Amino acid sequence: MTPMTDRSGTGLHAVLVTAFLSTTAFAADPGVTHYSVDPAKSSLEFSFVQAGAQNKGKFTKFPVALDISPDGGAATRLDVTVDMTTYDSGDKDRDDTLRGPDLFSVAKFPQAHFTATQITKTATGFDAVGKLTIRGVSRDQHVPFTFRAANEQGHAVGYLTGKTTLHRLDFGVGQGEWKSTEWVGNDVTVSYNVRLVPAAP
Amino acid sequence: MTIRNTTLRWGSVAQTLHWLIVTLLIVQVVLASLADDLPLGMKKLAMLARHKSVGITILGLAVLRLLWRWLNPTPELPDTLKPYERVLANLTHAALYLLLFAMPLSGWVMSSARGFPVSWFGFIQLPDLVPKNKPLYDAMLETHETLAWTLGAVVFLHVAAALKHHFMLKDNVLRRMLPFTKTR
Repeated sequence: MTPMTDRSGTGLHAVLVTAFLSTTAFAADPGVTHYSVDPAKSSLEFSFVQAGAQNKGKFTKFPVALDISPDGGAATRLDVTVDMTTYDSGDKDRDDTLRGPDLFSVAKFPQAHFTATQITKTATGFDAVGKLTIRGVSRDQHVPFTFRAANEQGHAVGYLTGKTTLHRLDFGVGQGEWKSTEWVGNDVTVSYNVRLVPAAP
Repeated sequence: MTIRNTTLRWGSVAQTLHWLIVTLLIVQVVLASLADDLPLGMKKLAMLARHKSVGITILGLAVLRLLWRWLNPTPELPDTLKPYERVLANLTHAALYLLLFAMPLSGWVMSSARGFPVSWFGFIQLPDLVPKNKPLYDAMLETHETLAWTLGAVVFLHVAAALKHHFMLKDNVLRRMLPFTKTR
C-alpha cells in the first residue's frame, strides 16, 4: 500500500521516494496505518489483591487509537480513553462501591486517559511511555505491548496485547478508609487484549 | 488422659479438636453477625475475610477429626440408653459432622459464585469452586444461613443431652470429653 513496494522504478527513483517519505511521514502519513478498537473482540481487565485473594474487574468501553507503520516496525501514536462508568466486576454492590466517590468517582471523573509521548521498540514489542490520567491525576506510566498484524478474510487487522502494573493510590483511587492497603492492595495489574481494525486518521 | 481415644474416654487429640472447633464456631457467629450489620466497605471486607479464613480452618479441622475418629476407638455410649436414644445420639453426631463440612463448603461456593475468592488468612488463595453465578450465589446464601440455624439447633440438642447426662443421669458422657476431669 506504499510506493515502497513498487520495485519497477530506477534505483535513483527509489532513493528519492524514500527520502521524500522520510521527510513527510508525519505530515501526510502515507507510511502509517491508523487503527481503532474493535470493541466486541477486545478486553481491558485489571486485577488486585483483596483480602489475600486476586479479584478481577473489566471495562467494556475504551476507545483506542494506534498509529503504526505497515511493517509493524514503528508505532507513533497510542491513545486510550477508558469509560470508567463501564466498570464491571460481575457484582453490583462492588461495582457501585468502586464507582463511588472514594474510589473511581465516576460522576466527577467519567474517563481515564492514556496518551503516549514516546513509543520505543523493545526486544518483544513496544514500550509506550506517556501520561496516564485517572481520577483527574496524571502520572507517567509505561504501557508495554506487542503488536501483531493479521489478515482475516481480506481485512487487515491488528492485535495489541500486554499488561502493566500501576499503584491505585498514586491516582487517589482510595480515599478515606480505602487509603489503607491492609485489605485492598495498592498494586493493580492491568491487562489488555485488543483487536484493532483500520480507521480513518 | 491418653493421646488416643479409649472405649471409655476421648483422648487429648479428639478433645482438643472438639473444643477448638467449638471456640471457632463461636468466633464465626460473632464475625458473621458483625459483618451482617456493616455496609459494604473496608470493615465488612475485613470481617468477611476473617470469617472465610476461620471457616476454612474449621473445614480442615473437621477433616482431621474424622480421620482421627476412624483411626481410634470411639468411646461407647452408656448401656442405660434406650434404643431410640441411641439412634438419636448417633443421628445428632452424624448431623454435627455433616454440618461441619456443609457450612464451610456452602460458604466457599457462595464466595466463588459471587466472584469474591477465598484466601486463607492471606497465605493461600483457594481455587474457585464454581464460576461467577449470581442465582447460585443467592441460593448458596440462603443455604448457608439455613445450615447455620440448623447447626445452632443441633448444637442445642447436643449440649442439652450432654448436660442431661451430667446432671440428671450422672454418668461420664460429658466428663469423658472434658480435660482435667476423672471419669467415675
